[in-house]
Amino acid sequence: MGDSQYSFSLTTFSPSGKLVQIEHALTAVGSGQTSLGIKAANGVVIATEKKLPSILVDEASVQKIQCLTPNIGVVYSGMGPDFRVLVRKSRKQAEQYHRLYKEPIPVTQLVRETAAVMQEFTQSGGVRPFGVSLLVAGYDDNGPQLYQVDPSGSYFSWKASAMGKNVSNAKTFLEKRYTDDMELDDAVHTAILTLKEGFEGQISGKNIEIGIIGTDRKFRQVSALTLSPFLNILLMEKWPFGFKKCQSLVLTPAEIDDYLAEVE
Amino acid sequence: MSRGSGGGYDRHITIFSPEGRLFQVEYAFKAVKAAGITSIGVRGKDSVCVVTQKKVPDKLLDQSSITHLFPITKFLGLLATGMTADARTLVQQARNEAAEFRFRYGYEMPVDVLSKWIADKSQVYTQHAYMRPLGVVAMVLGIDEEKGPQLYKCDPAGHFYGHKATSAGSKEQEAINFLEKKMKNDPAFTYEETVQTAISALQSVLQEDFKATEIEVGVVKADNPVFRVLLTEEIDEHLTAISERD
Repeated sequence: MGDSQYSFSLTTFSPSGKLVQIEHALTAVGSGQTSLGIKAANGVVIATEKKLPSILVDEASVQKIQCLTPNIGVVYSGMGPDFRVLVRKSRKQAEQYHRLYKEPIPVTQLVRETAAVMQEFTQSGGVRPFGVSLLVAGYDDNGPQLYQVDPSGSYFSWKASAMGKNVSNAKTFLEKRYTDDMELDDAVHTAILTLKEGFEGQISGKNIEIGIIGTDRKFRQVSALTLSPFLNILLMEKWPFGFKKCQSLVLTPAEIDDYLAEVE
Repeated sequence: MSRGSGGGYDRHITIFSPEGRLFQVEYAFKAVKAAGITSIGVRGKDSVCVVTQKKVPDKLLDQSSITHLFPITKFLGLLATGMTADARTLVQQARNEAAEFRFRYGYEMPVDVLSKWIADKSQVYTQHAYMRPLGVVAMVLGIDEEKGPQLYKCDPAGHFYGHKATSAGSKEQEAINFLEKKMKNDPAFTYEETVQTAISALQSVLQEDFKATEIEVGVVKADNPVFRVLLTEEIDEHLTAISERD
């Protein structure tokens, strides 16, 4: 990793014992768009703001919530290009696991391996840490799970979490609203309400993204756009043999707007 | 050897600044503006058009050798705004990648796949200290078999988005403001309207009327999805149409 010219780490200890590059990476995450996740009794929901730099941008070309496997989805706050790298690496790791063990990778394993990649970039020569925090949502034999992974490579399992610009308000809101026996639908409503709290402007199906996974263990993106399912699979890179394609049943703007109407 | 926030190295290589910014990437954006050229891209109902200034700094230069518009494959075009040398290396790598794609998978590389590849490469330069980001904003255009006309913009930070219309270069923000007004109600431009919107956007933003030799225009049309650079006569026709319209 990195050229021999830079065979020393750029992330080094300060006199006070801190790794300042990681702190700065966290600052970069903190200035990213808000995203959050909520674990319900029968599923997990992740959501994010999708504010684009101009109305000229084609929303259909942007997808912030991504599928890592058919039953694991991920969202981020921070730098989009760094996120793409992690998604690609994680997908490959999941596929390698499947090739070896002939079963889908458990959520904890995938999170662990992704976190290990992020940690590598805080110690290897000639590279900087990733400027993203991830929320990984999945459903496997251990039930619904939600993990947050930070630029340092540390990860924790959360009942509900938020990241990005509005993190403190969002977390306070979630703390008040969260109950251990929440159902998935309640969780989606709470997620939307939390996003609404800190949202600048008019919230609509076109400027947020929601991903849900329920007991059917199929990760779905509730997107505002009537993309054809085939199109969505293309956006997710070629999927190798022997592994079911990520079934992103993309739902219509009506669905998100229905949720929004119920919330009001 | 202490780095981190000390030593000011956050300005020299792509490591984080205390505010969580990457100064080298921001400087790369400035380098794009410093080139002094503005480019515009507009996507219509069944065509895409890109326009850029053609500044020939010295009369002794061979005009035909100065270009920012590059065909990547027969069907994909790339408009590079910024540092010409960086643009050429990017184009060279993109051409190679597109050709390999065609060989490997048996079908033409789609616009968004190429854009993603360019953006991912740019991301690597923002994370690894040994290479600086390229001082180029690339606009990729082509006709996608399923999605129709596509216009993507890739920047030094590694972002890439599809656009209905966009701009890059020194007067980028003014051009985007102009285009936002024009594209507000999602108009479905015909080929002529697409080209004329792009050219008139450039004229309005730079506040001068062009001669056909002072701009470069590249188009792809759905009925003939080959990437083509317009000839001087064709540019003249469009310029005349614009001035008659006003």
